[in-house]
Amino acid sequence: MLDVIIIGAGPAGLSAAIECRKNDLNTLVVDEFPKLGGRLLGQLHQEPTGEWWNGIEEAKKLVDEAQRLNTDIRTGISVHHVAKVDDHFVVHTNDGKFEATNVLIATGAAETAVPVPGWTLPGVMSIGAAQVMTNVHRVKVGERGVIVGVNVLSAAIAHELKLGGVDIHSMVLPSKNVISADQAEPYAVMERLSRIAHLAPSAFIRFGSKFAKSPIVQKLAVKLYPKNGITMFDIPIHLRKAIVSINGTEQVESVTIAKVTPEGDIIPNSEEVVNVDFVCIAGGLYPLAELAAVMGCEFKYVEELGGHVPVHSEAMETAVDGLFVAGNITGIESAKVARSQGTVAGLSIAKRMTNDVSLDRQLDRAMQNVKTTRDNATIQFHPHIYRGRERVKAAYNRITETKE
Amino acid sequence: MKNTIVCRCEEVTLEQLEQTAKQFNCSPRELKLRTRAGMGFCGGRTCRPAVDKVLLNVTDLRPSDNVPLKVQPPVRPISLSSLGGAIDDK
Amino acid sequence: MTNKRITHHPILGSLDKQSTVSFTFDGKEYTGLENDTIASALMANGVRTLRKHEFSGNPRGIYCNIGHCFECRVTVNGKENIRACLTPIVHDMVVESGQVQPSPLDPTNEVLPKTYEDYEKMGGNQ
Repeated sequence: MLDVIIIGAGPAGLSAAIECRKNDLNTLVVDEFPKLGGRLLGQLHQEPTGEWWNGIEEAKKLVDEAQRLNTDIRTGISVHHVAKVDDHFVVHTNDGKFEATNVLIATGAAETAVPVPGWTLPGVMSIGAAQVMTNVHRVKVGERGVIVGVNVLSAAIAHELKLGGVDIHSMVLPSKNVISADQAEPYAVMERLSRIAHLAPSAFIRFGSKFAKSPIVQKLAVKLYPKNGITMFDIPIHLRKAIVSINGTEQVESVTIAKVTPEGDIIPNSEEVVNVDFVCIAGGLYPLAELAAVMGCEFKYVEELGGHVPVHSEAMETAVDGLFVAGNITGIESAKVARSQGTVAGLSIAKRMTNDVSLDRQLDRAMQNVKTTRDNATIQFHPHIYRGRERVKAAYNRITETKE
Repeated sequence: MKNTIVCRCEEVTLEQLEQTAKQFNCSPRELKLRTRAGMGFCGGRTCRPAVDKVLLNVTDLRPSDNVPLKVQPPVRPISLSSLGGAIDDK
Repeated sequence: MTNKRITHHPILGSLDKQSTVSFTFDGKEYTGLENDTIASALMANGVRTLRKHEFSGNPRGIYCNIGHCFECRVTVNGKENIRACLTPIVHDMVVESGQVQPSPLDPTNEVLPKTYEDYEKMGGNQ
């Protein structure tokens, strides 16, 4: 019987593993991706200080530390079910069953799809797919492409593609329907960009600060949005153009783009066809919590955190005894926050296993560190993250109070 | 916007989803069973948020705390032999 | 041959010299780098279509590239439904694209039996 199985070897899972191993717990980390580091691997952006955040290097630091502590980490393992049996868990994988006293689910996030006519053609991929291909595998996804969806994540990755030598024709909005909703409304997109601009790196600050001043300025900016877009990292960003369709027979050959009103409605007869060989879809991220759902965790819908999140405490415990969560499964935030949450989860698990009171102080400090990291985050996906976190905490307290 | 596929695995379009949801005043489960959206190979990981939005729009509801489509194991497709406990050869 | 490899990168630096691995995809030989996945090795060679949709036959390639969407499933050394984006290439690996599958319930399908009687008439269960 293992002390703990950690599902996911990203920043949260690895930093949790490090704490578990420091406390001599019998630990197994599994991940289905062949390389360790999760989504952290693909990240590459400049901090406001000018320093580069290189995900491959950051991941290596965590992996090295975990390996120094002799952590058993296995790749190529997919977990398809977790069940609680008496006082322990059985984790079902493609490599057989594993039993453990504790489970940490650190499965991160999945990308929210924004369906576009023609998006099943080869050459269309999620923005995260292009990021991994470019920075991790070092392969160009195409020669010239269009990015659909304007948000923090897509702007950062557009720049990364450019650094990899891939030409980005432009960034445009998805066309408006019930699914794309406010991601297709120029006013809403501008407002979101302005709200987060002060938190985002270099070029984004310059983009946002022009419009951050007041809603009136933002509205005016959308109304008078320049025909050729506003360029950031030499990439034209269009808030008044949307994609109508992706065209091709065997793969992407072109896209049809149309002008839209400030509300996002297509202006008739404004379509143009642009020849591109790839398209990236950027609809944002949502917590990937399917294993917590099959475990019977209670959920809370929290828009600020990216969707449905398993209810958990600040110490990263769920209401299921012995089941912990950390990282983007608890809400969409930066890798640094995920990493600090992993430390909290690792210490919580160690505390449950060893009853060592000296861990209490470490745990308090680690929980404080999550907040400090959040305050200092340069990339923030939602401006009201604290409000979202408070709602989850309150839900957790309600559950545990009724239990007692 | 007629042929916007929402569920890639089962090639279910936005129009089919909206029409079915309206016609039968569907619960999430019913919409899934009638259209097969979210029932394909990926288990709905790609289209789940989109299908939820279509349904919320038709029913004019706000998202609830319950995950709309019940998540059931296995959360990854597995072979029958693997389900029976055998280890996949890699 | 198209080479889409990013050998020099302004921030990540030059690609380390890595040994090459050769494998086949639908009978044709390709070369990738050690640590490539099937998907990345094929994309580096300009190959983006990995399968046809089972029913419609529409071409598909990678979508999420991290194992969530299963769009990139291929047959590897005879084993079906393997995700190309998660599977590292190995020397002499035989990879085949996914093809259209027969669908017995399709009324336009004239090859497959519709009833058990048809099935027996066609020589089944003998």
